[in-house]
Amino acid sequence: VRVLDPSISVAIMELNDGNLQTLTEYLQKTLIPDPAVRRPAEKFLESVEGNQNYPILLLTVLEKSQDEVIRVCAAVTFKNYIKRNWRIVEDEPNKISDPDRTAIKANIVNLMLTSPEQIQKQLSDAISIIGREDFPQKWPDLLTEMVTRFQSGDFHIINGVLRTAHSLFKRYRHEFKSNELWSEIKLVLDTFAQPLTELFKATIDLCQTHATDVNALKVLFSSLTLISKLFYSLNFQDLPEFFEDNMETWMTNFHNLLTLDNKLLQTDDEEEAGLLELLKSQICDNAALYAQKYDEEFQPYLPRFVTAIWNLLVTTGQEVKYDLLVSNAIQFLASVCERPHYKHLFEDQNVLTSICEKVIVPNMEFRSADEEAFEGNAEEYIIRDLEGSDIDTRRRAACDLVRGLCKFFEGPVTGIFSGYVNSMLTEYAKNPGVNWKHKDAAIYLVTSLASKAQTQKHGITQANELVNLCEFFVNHILVDLKSPNVNEFPVLKADAIKYVMTFRSQLPKEQLLEAVPLLVAHLQTESIVQHTYAAHSLERLFTMRGANNATLITPAEMAPFTEQLLNNLFKALAIPGSSENEYIMKAIMRSFSLLQDAIVPYIPTLIGQLTHKLLLVSKNPSKPHFNHYLFESLCLSIRITCKANQDTVGSFEEALFPVFTEILQNDVQEFVPYVFQVMSLLLEIHTSSIPSSYMALFPHLLQPVLWERTGNIPPLVRLLQAYLEKGATTIASTAADKIPGLLGVFQKLIASKANDHQGFYLLNSIVEQMPPDSITQYRKQIFILLFQRLQSSKTTKFVKSFLVFINLYCVKYGAIALQEIFDGIQPKMFGMVVEKIIIPEVQKVSGQVEKKICAVGITKILTECPAMMDTEYTKLWTPLLQALIGLFELPEDDSIPDDEHFIDIEDTPGYQTAFSQLAFAGKKEHDPIGDAVNNPKILLAQSLHKLSTACPGRVPSMLSTSLPAEALQFLQGYLQAATVQLV
Amino acid sequence: MPTENLSDKRMSKFKNKGKEPTKMRDRRIAECVELRKAHKVESIMKRRNISSVGDEEPLSPEDNTDNKQVISETIQEIVANVNGECPEKQRQGCQAARKLLSRERNPPLKEIIEAGLLTRFVEFLGRNDDPTLQFEAAWSLTNVASGTSWHTQQVVEHGAVPAFIALLASPMLNISEQAVWALGNIAVSSGIWTPHTSGFASVIAQCNPQNVLQVGYLRNLTWTLSNLCRNKNPFPRFSAVQQMLPSIIQLLHHSDKSILSDACWAISYLTDGPNERIDVVIKTGILPRLVELLGFEELTVVTPALRSIGNIVSGSDLQTQAAIDAGVLSALPQLMRHPKSSVQKEAAWAVSNIAAGPCQQIQQLITCGLLAPLVDLLRNGDFKTQREAVWAVTNYTSGGTVDQVVHLVKCGALEAILNLLQAKDTKTVLVILDAINNIFLAAEKLGEVDKLCLLVEEVGGLDRIEFLQNHENNAVYRAAQALIEKYFSEDGDDQCLTTEATDSNFVFGPSDLQKRFVF
Repeated sequence: VRVLDPSISVAIMELNDGNLQTLTEYLQKTLIPDPAVRRPAEKFLESVEGNQNYPILLLTVLEKSQDEVIRVCAAVTFKNYIKRNWRIVEDEPNKISDPDRTAIKANIVNLMLTSPEQIQKQLSDAISIIGREDFPQKWPDLLTEMVTRFQSGDFHIINGVLRTAHSLFKRYRHEFKSNELWSEIKLVLDTFAQPLTELFKATIDLCQTHATDVNALKVLFSSLTLISKLFYSLNFQDLPEFFEDNMETWMTNFHNLLTLDNKLLQTDDEEEAGLLELLKSQICDNAALYAQKYDEEFQPYLPRFVTAIWNLLVTTGQEVKYDLLVSNAIQFLASVCERPHYKHLFEDQNVLTSICEKVIVPNMEFRSADEEAFEGNAEEYIIRDLEGSDIDTRRRAACDLVRGLCKFFEGPVTGIFSGYVNSMLTEYAKNPGVNWKHKDAAIYLVTSLASKAQTQKHGITQANELVNLCEFFVNHILVDLKSPNVNEFPVLKADAIKYVMTFRSQLPKEQLLEAVPLLVAHLQTESIVQHTYAAHSLERLFTMRGANNATLITPAEMAPFTEQLLNNLFKALAIPGSSENEYIMKAIMRSFSLLQDAIVPYIPTLIGQLTHKLLLVSKNPSKPHFNHYLFESLCLSIRITCKANQDTVGSFEEALFPVFTEILQNDVQEFVPYVFQVMSLLLEIHTSSIPSSYMALFPHLLQPVLWERTGNIPPLVRLLQAYLEKGATTIASTAADKIPGLLGVFQKLIASKANDHQGFYLLNSIVEQMPPDSITQYRKQIFILLFQRLQSSKTTKFVKSFLVFINLYCVKYGAIALQEIFDGIQPKMFGMVVEKIIIPEVQKVSGQVEKKICAVGITKILTECPAMMDTEYTKLWTPLLQALIGLFELPEDDSIPDDEHFIDIEDTPGYQTAFSQLAFAGKKEHDPIGDAVNNPKILLAQSLHKLSTACPGRVPSMLSTSLPAEALQFLQGYLQAATVQLV
Repeated sequence: MPTENLSDKRMSKFKNKGKEPTKMRDRRIAECVELRKAHKVESIMKRRNISSVGDEEPLSPEDNTDNKQVISETIQEIVANVNGECPEKQRQGCQAARKLLSRERNPPLKEIIEAGLLTRFVEFLGRNDDPTLQFEAAWSLTNVASGTSWHTQQVVEHGAVPAFIALLASPMLNISEQAVWALGNIAVSSGIWTPHTSGFASVIAQCNPQNVLQVGYLRNLTWTLSNLCRNKNPFPRFSAVQQMLPSIIQLLHHSDKSILSDACWAISYLTDGPNERIDVVIKTGILPRLVELLGFEELTVVTPALRSIGNIVSGSDLQTQAAIDAGVLSALPQLMRHPKSSVQKEAAWAVSNIAAGPCQQIQQLITCGLLAPLVDLLRNGDFKTQREAVWAVTNYTSGGTVDQVVHLVKCGALEAILNLLQAKDTKTVLVILDAINNIFLAAEKLGEVDKLCLLVEEVGGLDRIEFLQNHENNAVYRAAQALIEKYFSEDGDDQCLTTEATDSNFVFGPSDLQKRFVF
């Protein structure tokens, strides 16, 4: 037996039985699950695949082997080989020899078409990979070869060709127009369009001939579906001449197929779409394509399609398998009805009525599948119903159609639906137990009709004026909310609750206030959807703004219900299925935030429940939103309680630290950033020196492993800042050996473009809080690091932070210290920084505190730094003053109002960032200058005055020679305000 | 930004923003591969004279047969007659040939050429002594030249052009007119025509002044002129254009619709080229008249006038300004509301090019009330019009000031383009994403990103942009993703300096001795 030894492999493998045998054996081995056998075999095959004839050997095995499994295996291996190697990458060796390429292309189509389906699919994929590279230039006869097979009459072969063609052509649907692409399409059209059309007609004829042969029909219908897909691809970029000329043939047949039904092709399966549905769905897509892009040419056919599709909708059942077809079909109508020149097709009152009656209303009905989800899979139901992940559902499509129709026919459509709503409500009233779904549909209809614009944050923001939302609320919604049996008709109750939430911006406040206690009562209901909606509605109502930007609903108005609200919210968390319900937790957070002081009496009890919950979820954090709101609620408890009585901070630490310790020790990654934030909050509340429990933790906070996780960085910086604020002297006296580690963190952070601002936060705190002696020895290195970063990658964000820092340093240590340390690093450094960084960039500094720091720092440089007056830096004096005046006179940034209550904690799942900032752990803005300087403009005036008296005559002369008039005018204003004069 | 490629490409498509003037106009030129019906351009442009004026006897059924046998016999007879010396026979032969060539269907162009008749026909053109013969020969040659390029080429190669030019001065109206006509057909086939252009360009000058007064004659003449201007590969020489322009300008003031139409087409061809060519036209001072013609009822006049204006505003900023100064902005709104969608499309195209200009010109779009109709087109135009309108929005938002962008959004453009994100055209989708990005950039400057986010979400735009993250086209999904990441979520990380670390802490201190700092 000859062995294929890769080490002595020659460039060419012979096509002989021995090699075929060996290859077969290795292929066999690749199927063995044991990696010890499988891996070497795979390795071996990869090592020989560069040899000439390897792919031909593979194809031979594929063709000749008696073993079906080996044949499939060879097909898969071949496809993967093609995928890896066919593409010729520039400057890399050609991995498949030219003779092999030629041989593959010569044989593969035939081989694919004569193989059983499983192999056919693999080879078809291989062909499209090759086609993507070689077609059309390097594979000119591919299409002709394929097209000739259309005449074979063998639909197994024909479907193979169609499938391959589909995978070759489908990229026309998304590629940009280019001459190259269009030349290819032109070529395809020239060769393919006519035969495809003939095949289309022939296949339809055959469907008639074989109308009673179910097996034949199945094959033929899959051909028709593929043909329809090809039609879509070939017509996507532009309307080809051929298809324009043959529109009659195609559209007439498409139209017939849409109206066709064949009992034999109906499937029993309720879920899976059958061949008929797939075909009709594709035809709807084709019609929609023409209607959108080739309007002018398609116009004569469009009315027919509208009618057919509408009939289709009327006759299609409620089963899930029809969902795609129905939603495609409705979307087609929705897109057509809002185009001005098709308006007339819908204008007739009878037409509108029957669309409303037969298309929209039935598809808004609550189906048994919805009912099952409501009861059995509440989470999914809520996501679909509340968060709008319902793009492809019938209800969504029906809503879109309502909105489309309202563009031109808002009045009539509203009128028709009002009639429907009334009749459905009457039906319901006759026998609520049986007809409750009628009311559900009525509410849904009202909602879709009234909603013109909507956001997560505000609910409906624009409503149809023709719908009386308040009246409907009073007559039909309130009744359900008030019903004493809260667990009866849970779907209708959920609808009613959702109605309040959806139209909260449209309903008057009295009605909302009337709803609040009712919603509170519904927190207790058994149905998960129902109490979740109740929690969510309350949460949304509590975020509404009233007059003066305060909450619409005030704590005083909530007073009568406070106890019950809190009780019910926490009890709801005990209902099976809702133990980690994020909507409830969010409602807890929002209630705390709204009620403020009113919750203080309850906190001793509630904090126990919250910590208990925290302990439970920290074992296995699975609901990020729930956990987030849990931490927010903890923060609120702390803030609100400690605001009333600072001394209670100890009791919180007592309650929380055991859980926190566990979280940090077990390194529960999701929770660590939260723990740091809560600890910061707690530490900041302390007024005396830093407790030893915190100091014990300090060295651990400097560990690099913690800083490698981006989510930890902001909360850790914040925590270290709290340490510095409360314990700088303690650190200097008892942990001075940790200062280099602390600075190491700073160094690590400013090295990153994303985190450099965090590094500056830390550095600012160090400079501001640490006793000067403790950091003297590091100062020069700090600046060198900053200069290095400035040199290597200067970004606006970095420059802004840098400017704030050097000015803070100047304020703290004086302008002379700043100038000397700069010039000590490199001669003339100070001048360069003033000229190249401060003067041109200082206008970019934003934030009131930051601007103030810069103003004071620059004032000091101007007036307390002799080098600015006596050296060559003098030329920078006036430009620097001018820059400072510019900083003063820029329009102020509106600072963010202090209403954290409204901060919307990101509701949108999927945009999770690594760091989850707790809004309610937020720290107050810190002003290191504080009251020392109230008005920096006055300070400037006074400082200039002082300078001018020290060296009379110089200041006015510098001003008059080079300060622009406008700036001078501002400056004179400051001097007047400070009642000083320059001499 | 992910849309960088797109904007590069777009920039070079619009006006002076792209640095490569050769690419400036590839929106019209480079898209030469067409899938659509070409509308048989050449055969439509050329015209055959099939009138039966002057034929006393109606065509007998035999004459109009497709029978090869009969035709070949007829041709043999013609050859014999034409090649003979008898003037009467020559006239007869020539007339018989003309009749064959004037049949409604399948005129035997090739057979006539293959029979070697062209040499003789061209010779007859010079027979000033026999106007009838001249006329019949000119007519025959006209119809042969109305065939494919190959047919036309045969006529040219037999030296017909100078002979026809000479005939322009003929005192006989019908002969001169036939010469104009023939030359018009010849002009359609480019390449063939060039060597003779200069001689022909002064065609008007050579015409008999008496003839010019006849409307029918002028129509033909105008049509021929427009054909002369039509060639792009290569363009007619400057000298030739200079010679033709005065006549075209004069014709643009005629009252006949057909003449106006062809004269406008001529202008549209002349302006469909590099900026120097546009300049030549602008310098004639014709712009106000062109703008006036935009207001005509007749589609045949409005279409080429609008095309000309569209071409001119695709030129430099100065050229665009010239069009604006001539009042084009007051004419465009009604064209954007024209019942014909093809007119709407061309108008939107022109607007898109004006919007690609400096913000002063964008301001004029606002002042002249073009935004409302533009938004209407985005909402209700047919697809091709919407596509142009989308380009207008993208150009506007990339060149406009923050205030101007805000104004456009207030007019409803944002909502309209967000709706069009469902368009089944990848490029359009990408162009819209680019516009959205531009609008966000403006919002950033105003600090109103959050507000814009809400607005986008409110009108269903966020859903659509999110949906596009699954688009098959890389550029589209990346652009959508970038928008989502930038404006609807937060950002990432990267290191620029190194920091050493031990288990317990980071090592503080610069790792290497610094070089000189220079900022």
